[in-house]
Amino acid sequence: MADKEATVYIVDLGSSMGDCHNGRTESDLDWSMRYAWDKISATVAASRKTWNIGVIGVRTDETVNPLAEDDGYNNISVLQELGPMNMTAMESLQSKIKPSGTSCGDSVSAIVVAIQMIEKLTKKLKYKRNIILITDGEAPVDPDDDNLNDIADKIKDTQIQLTVLGVDFDDSEFGIKEEDKTAQKATNERLLRQLAGRSGGNFGTIAEAIAELDIPRLKQTRPFKSYDGPLTLGDPQVDPRAMSISVERYFKTHKQAPPPASNVILKTDHASGSQSAQTRDVDRMQGVEPTGGAFASVKNARAYKVNDPDTPGGKKDVEFDCLAKGYQYGSTAVHISESEFNITKIETAKCFTIVGFIHQDKYGPFLNMGSTGLTVAQKLNDAAAMKLSSLIHSLHELESYAVARIVTKDGKEPQLLLLAPYIDVDFECLYDIPLPFAEDVRSYHFPPLDKVITVAGATLTKHRHLPTQDLIETMSEYVDAMDISTFGLDDEGQRTQEYAPVEDVYCPPVHRINQVVRHRVIYADQPVPPIPPILLKYAQPNRNLVEKARSALEDLIEVAEVKQVPPKAKGKRQRDAIKPISGLDVDALLQTPENKRTKIDPNNAVPEFKQMVDNAEDIKTFEEATKQIGHIIRQLITDSLGDVNYDRAIEVMGVLRESLINIEEPGFYNSFIKDLKKRLLSGELGGDRRELWWQVKGAKLGLIDQNMSDVSKVTPEEVAEFYKK
Amino acid sequence: MSGRGDYEQRDGDEEEEEEEGLDEHDYKHQKDALLFAIEVSDSMMKKPPPSDDKKADKDSALSAALKCAYQVMQQRIISSPKDMMGILLFGTEKTKFLDESNLGYPHCYVYTPLDVPDAVDVKKLRSLVEDDEDSEEVLKPSAEKVNLKDVLFCANQIFTTKAPNFGSRRLFIITDNDDPHSGNKKENESAAVRAKDLYDLSVIIDLYPITREDEKFDFTKFYDDIIYRNPAAEVTQPNRVNSSKSGDGLTLLHALVSNINGKQTPKRAYFSNCPFEIGPGFQISVKGYNIIQKQVPARTCYVWLDGEKAQIAVSETSRLASDSARTVETGDIKKAYKFGGEYVYFSPEEQKSLKDFGNPIIRVIGFKDRSLLKFWMSIDKSIFIYPSEEHYIGSTRVFTALWQKLLKSKKIGIAWHIARKNGNPKLVAIIPSSAQKNEGTPGEYLPAGMWLFPIPFADDVREPPETTCVRTTDELTDKMNLIVRQLQLPSATYNPAKYPNPALQWHYKILQALALDDEVPETPDDATVPKYKAIHKRCGGYIEEWSKVADEALGRHEEHKCIKREAEDDDDEPRPAKKSRITVSKNANGDSGSALNDAALKKRIKAGDLSKLKVAELKHILAGRGLDNKGLKADLVDRLEQWGEDNL
Repeated sequence: MADKEATVYIVDLGSSMGDCHNGRTESDLDWSMRYAWDKISATVAASRKTWNIGVIGVRTDETVNPLAEDDGYNNISVLQELGPMNMTAMESLQSKIKPSGTSCGDSVSAIVVAIQMIEKLTKKLKYKRNIILITDGEAPVDPDDDNLNDIADKIKDTQIQLTVLGVDFDDSEFGIKEEDKTAQKATNERLLRQLAGRSGGNFGTIAEAIAELDIPRLKQTRPFKSYDGPLTLGDPQVDPRAMSISVERYFKTHKQAPPPASNVILKTDHASGSQSAQTRDVDRMQGVEPTGGAFASVKNARAYKVNDPDTPGGKKDVEFDCLAKGYQYGSTAVHISESEFNITKIETAKCFTIVGFIHQDKYGPFLNMGSTGLTVAQKLNDAAAMKLSSLIHSLHELESYAVARIVTKDGKEPQLLLLAPYIDVDFECLYDIPLPFAEDVRSYHFPPLDKVITVAGATLTKHRHLPTQDLIETMSEYVDAMDISTFGLDDEGQRTQEYAPVEDVYCPPVHRINQVVRHRVIYADQPVPPIPPILLKYAQPNRNLVEKARSALEDLIEVAEVKQVPPKAKGKRQRDAIKPISGLDVDALLQTPENKRTKIDPNNAVPEFKQMVDNAEDIKTFEEATKQIGHIIRQLITDSLGDVNYDRAIEVMGVLRESLINIEEPGFYNSFIKDLKKRLLSGELGGDRRELWWQVKGAKLGLIDQNMSDVSKVTPEEVAEFYKK
Repeated sequence: MSGRGDYEQRDGDEEEEEEEGLDEHDYKHQKDALLFAIEVSDSMMKKPPPSDDKKADKDSALSAALKCAYQVMQQRIISSPKDMMGILLFGTEKTKFLDESNLGYPHCYVYTPLDVPDAVDVKKLRSLVEDDEDSEEVLKPSAEKVNLKDVLFCANQIFTTKAPNFGSRRLFIITDNDDPHSGNKKENESAAVRAKDLYDLSVIIDLYPITREDEKFDFTKFYDDIIYRNPAAEVTQPNRVNSSKSGDGLTLLHALVSNINGKQTPKRAYFSNCPFEIGPGFQISVKGYNIIQKQVPARTCYVWLDGEKAQIAVSETSRLASDSARTVETGDIKKAYKFGGEYVYFSPEEQKSLKDFGNPIIRVIGFKDRSLLKFWMSIDKSIFIYPSEEHYIGSTRVFTALWQKLLKSKKIGIAWHIARKNGNPKLVAIIPSSAQKNEGTPGEYLPAGMWLFPIPFADDVREPPETTCVRTTDELTDKMNLIVRQLQLPSATYNPAKYPNPALQWHYKILQALALDDEVPETPDDATVPKYKAIHKRCGGYIEEWSKVADEALGRHEEHKCIKREAEDDDDEPRPAKKSRITVSKNANGDSGSALNDAALKKRIKAGDLSKLKVAELKHILAGRGLDNKGLKADLVDRLEQWGEDNL
């Protein structure tokens, strides 16, 4: 992991590499470099100082190498000395990797140059040494067998891993056989295969290497110890006979987060002149920018305000320096002095102790609070290993889990863990998952699924929400048909393995971002590539499986009779049916003289507006209701001291907007909101109301467009325009 | 730029964003306002008959209701610090509306104004509840009847002005009177109209009736006219709550608290109407809920102390460019990835497309045996799903059929899941659950339904450290079995309700004491600490036996190992002297779990030659004694010497 590495890439730049072969539209060089660039950029991304990369071109126009004096070393150029790789080096390298005008250059000689480079840097130190040769094998190679043997021995002695990757080299396992191979190429393939074989290296066809690029690489992480100390049963302080086993706890699973994106902005000096023109410039460059370049990072600055009735906005700024730290208890600010700041922290001592045991089948995994830990005995401690083993085996025999309390360090918060036994051929451990505390489980009530209870309290077993026997049976058949417990292919192509096992499912966002970032670095001018299929392998059920289950699914669909609710019907005019449990017709009551409402009461605006719209007979009433409520909204704003009425105004606007979408009169709202915007920005409603306009925008209460209401004449573009400024 | 309310603040912290619920109506605040309306009347204030039974009820209905409200208030300060609560008493002789208004509703008394409770509110309610200190003399029933119409409109005005634009507003009515207007139709009707207003204001009314002995609370007399089916709740849910009464070993307070607790947290969906694709071309819709959610203390805040009253300073974030410290408009900000010291930049459209793995979905890709979901495959909490008829009629019956099948055949679904637009896709196991009840309380603590259980990706799995495997013997395991059998938790199950989070509780206990100027408590209650005395009493003997057997087994193991090693050593070149010394000292002291036994350590400390040991050995010895083993060699030696002084 933190090992030192020295890798030399030897790239064949001969003129033949510039041609396209075997139906490809990409030159052999570009195609092969997909592999090399991917590997090199991965090293750049890691930015490790101990990972060294060198690049040698073979069949170059020039000859620039330390052995140039000797025979047979012409047309070989060191393009990059062996050393740590960075973006600048990579960019300069990119300009050098181009097909040359020559067809001469001995790739085996280039290997000798590479060996020398590696020896010079690594001496006898501990390094991972690699040479990767990429060639189409079209140039003559010195075929002297003794010479090849010497080189192979040298490679072995120096502990170098040689990898030869050839363009369209034959590979029966991967399934490539080039039919119209030149004699030269056939000879070279044979020679290079020998060399790789004798030196204990790898030999393959580049197509395979490129195909493997899409297989996500897993990041190796050093085991991290989250606890190190005794696992106890009982308290040695209370009774010296207490059980105590020295253990170490590590992560078993830990969430791998996608690389974060930083907020950046064009630097001021770059923004001289027209800024938008500059931005476009960067867009066109499809930017890779050095951190010292055109971008500056964005920082968050905070300003603090407190309520102050004497200032016009009702709030005033306070200096950060005059603020004290504290906590909120409800709406009360509890200030705690710096010296006492730990007072609310519970005092704990490091411990890992068993609380009790439970039955395995009485625990549902949906209570798990997070990722898994793993506990093994202390290293090189046979006593601890044997004692822990007895606990592991006991839990296994009794089908039990242990509940344990852990405090990973003095002063840390206590956590309850559930410990489960795991026994393999030569490995044993306790796995653990964090358990929820009382506060972590929210008490939400849901009606039972298997029966319907009516308002009157009667229990029904037949209801449109309950499945019929027919549905239960077809569902059962479908589920069985879709079973993937043994749907995965084994080595012989039989379906005996578990399908979609953990080790075969890669985290799509992590690898997607790594992929596109690397791609952008290598091919700055190309659009973002599509998602590699391997990341979407489990986004859909397997086609063969679906085919197998087709008739079961068809039966299920027929019996289930599920109907999609047409989008329009949602919410529209459903309000007619709303009645209290007794079924009392309140709408009718509202028509009686003593309850009749003609004008909307500003204090009861939302209900009365809704009722007016619900009971409206004609479009005129809608218009009238909108007019009245519009007036009320403007009055609320005008009367608002600072922002006190803003939320109320927003609520009424939201209700108005929803209602008018439902009754398909978006025009009323659109003219209202256009007018309101004008008034807000002109300061006509009791002063500076820009703040409220921000809130209206944030709450998305602008114009109603055609997507939201078919009858609207407003396009989404107009809405976007409306929100600007 | 700044102060755009809640809408913009989410930006930035993606993790936090994930936690927040999805807004169905984005113009509304995702906050809850809860108003208790508690009736004050002679019957509500009647004390239960005196009894010698210690467990017998001592509270009047009113005092139980107030105590319950007090408990809820304390809980909400911890569990939902941004939500509001208020208490409205009705039927009182006195009348009081919000402070600044003269407008009164006869016999309605706003005892705790609807707001995020502050220390004063808590203290005032506490003194009323615990010390019967009715300083405002409100607990006096009025001679004339209160009209429910006034109560409801009073609540309406409180919600309209104090909790504008809240996503959830609820009125909890606690009363023992099922016929407040003595059958007067006109009065019932005007109350029904005011109830409809509340309904249209999206206020949900929940009734908590109180009955005594064999009385019945007759909903049809009046309350069925003012209570609506909860539009947000699932279709078939009746909105009637069982009446609370004492008996069956439960006090009235208990009954009330458990009735109300079940509904105390507003049910917020984590995602709504997510398509659940059971097979290609076969969808139903479900809602998702965060039933499991880690509760942590609220973050620290900054307090401004220079005013008359300490105030929380509200922060507003603006963005500055690091090169020039100029303020940055959101539109100018670009997203870039750091790559080997450079910024790799994507246009906003590209950036968006990178996150796009499709629309929200739960797509089944097959079913597996439950046993294939291994214990260690855990990475995150699960989401509870429940069917919704809003988009697909028939969702409930299909969901139920699947739920029953999975339970019956002990299977799980495997699905590709995207929770929200631009959300990260995951592979989840769909696990059915049957309802789990808490003993002694009505209602279940875990509902029946299905859970989306995230399965770790290959990337999330860590390699275990290298270990040498030393197996137990059958005899030793048998001894351990005795212990495991003895120390089962009640009904061999883990019940979260029994274990409040000690750190969280302590944090708020101290805060409460500071806020209310109470004495700061000395020791925390920590239910997670094992009952050591009981463990030793029940198992002390067994543990001793187990230790003895372990020592014997270990002795045999060491012997066996020595013979094996000698055999090996004969063939192999001799090991370096130092290494074998460690093994020897270890062999001599197999059971203390450290590389050097206490006697040997004492000798070394006396001789002062601890520093002759290698760093690795020192670390090992320290670790074996549960001590910190980081630092320079001199520190390690010091630490070990110190330990020796204290312990040997």
